[in-house]
Amino acid sequence: MLDALKDVVRKSSIHVCLINTGGCNGCDIEVVALLSPRYDLEQYGIYVHNNPREADVLLITGAVCEQWKENLQRIYSKAPEPKVVVAIGNCPLTGDVFNQEGSSVYAPVSDFIPVDAEIPGCPPRPAEILAAILAVGPDAIAAKGREKP
Amino acid sequence: MILPIGPIHPGLKEPVRLKLKTQGEKVINAEIDFGYVHRGIERVIEGKTWQKGIYLSERVCGICSYIHTQTFAETFEKIAGERVPLRAQYLRSLTNELDRIQSHFIANSTYFKAIEHETLFMYMLHLREPIMDAIELLTGNRVNMGWNVVGGVRMDAEEKHLNSIYQIITNLEKEYDKYVEMFEEGPLLALRSKDVGKMSKKDAIKGRAVGPIGRGSGLKHDVREEHHTYKDEFDWKVIWRKEGDNFARTMNRFDEITESIKIIKQIIENIPSGDVRKKITIPAGYADWRNEAPRGELAYMAETNGNLIQNISIRTPSIMNIDVCGKYMLQDVATVADAVATYASVDPCVACAERVIILNEKGEKTEFDGLHKVKYLQ
Repeated sequence: MLDALKDVVRKSSIHVCLINTGGCNGCDIEVVALLSPRYDLEQYGIYVHNNPREADVLLITGAVCEQWKENLQRIYSKAPEPKVVVAIGNCPLTGDVFNQEGSSVYAPVSDFIPVDAEIPGCPPRPAEILAAILAVGPDAIAAKGREKP
Repeated sequence: MILPIGPIHPGLKEPVRLKLKTQGEKVINAEIDFGYVHRGIERVIEGKTWQKGIYLSERVCGICSYIHTQTFAETFEKIAGERVPLRAQYLRSLTNELDRIQSHFIANSTYFKAIEHETLFMYMLHLREPIMDAIELLTGNRVNMGWNVVGGVRMDAEEKHLNSIYQIITNLEKEYDKYVEMFEEGPLLALRSKDVGKMSKKDAIKGRAVGPIGRGSGLKHDVREEHHTYKDEFDWKVIWRKEGDNFARTMNRFDEITESIKIIKQIIENIPSGDVRKKITIPAGYADWRNEAPRGELAYMAETNGNLIQNISIRTPSIMNIDVCGKYMLQDVATVADAVATYASVDPCVACAERVIILNEKGEKTEFDGLHKVKYLQ
């Protein structure tokens, strides 16, 4: 009974933390564009808070740079369970154009933390990011929450 | 007390660390730490042809991605000693101004978010979306456009698309003044903005501030004045103010949007017909080129052997602007909240600023002490 109630509540209140692990900003401003009245992220109960300690969903943008090799794991562990990781753009998936000889990126992000959803694109459109968060967010959080003792 | 803010923080959009030295609520001085988004782009571009380099230069920064490709292309056109066809110059300026408008909107919206004025934050993003539509209509993409090539632009713009852009710009112009007035005459906004984060003209010159930050402090300097297209073809003026506070910087961006609207109207009214691209053979040589990015002066220095890029150096405006913010603006700020707002008013783009990290043999970050000691990491 209590679990079912928690599931309902969690489904419509998702806190999001945006972590740029070394991208070009392109994906980040598409997430900011999601806040605009046209897309209106908050009508779906999603709130971009940028605080890992309160986050349900971590949005990762950017290929992993030198400084993030250890810090990414630390930030991931600070987010409370249950949590979902969404990788936005080509950079966290493959390193995109930066993953060449001589660069200092350590993509993919899935080497460091488990990734639940991947959105390819350079950058993906705001509607795609929104669809991915909604597709993976509420159900995964509810399901993971149930698994916990 | 040292108060660290970042790298991941609700007030910051990008990973950077602000170390504020505080006394109670008062911020005495600040230090800004970089190195969270260094990808090594210059190193990757070296040894490639321009066709491969131009895509990498676009991804130096996602917000002002357009101007990077234009400057890259114009650097190589300068090596060849040629200019692109006039229609291509017009189309380049059109995209540049549209990009400037959307960048200034997002900069101002970030500032309004930092001073907790949610209403204007939403209005700014609302005004920005039609501009993104216009960019998409023209180039086919919202952020990374892939629009420039050495010798012109990738494809021609159709008449109906130019008309739609004209319509979008006219619609923006109609309601734009209302929002500027909200900021200019709002009493609470003035309390948070006026006389906060002041930088004098002397300090701006000393710290080499550029763009709206320098112009907000009375430094009348805009590289567009020296650009051949802007100099010869359009009627416009440089916007600058004297106050040097957060209000002046934000207002400067608002006024520059008005000026950009004026330029875009001139472009669409007078655009000549003709080719948009011509074949350019690049000889061996060196050139540098400067352009006015939304955040200030952007400089490219490139050396090529005719086929491969031997050496490239990119200087982005955010490096100087973030530096003057730490050195001169964040001195004796009344509250921590004002310090974050001042940082946001500088329109910092950390992805732009991350060009070089100097490491010693052990892999620790060190100070830069002479070019002769630097070795590339293999």
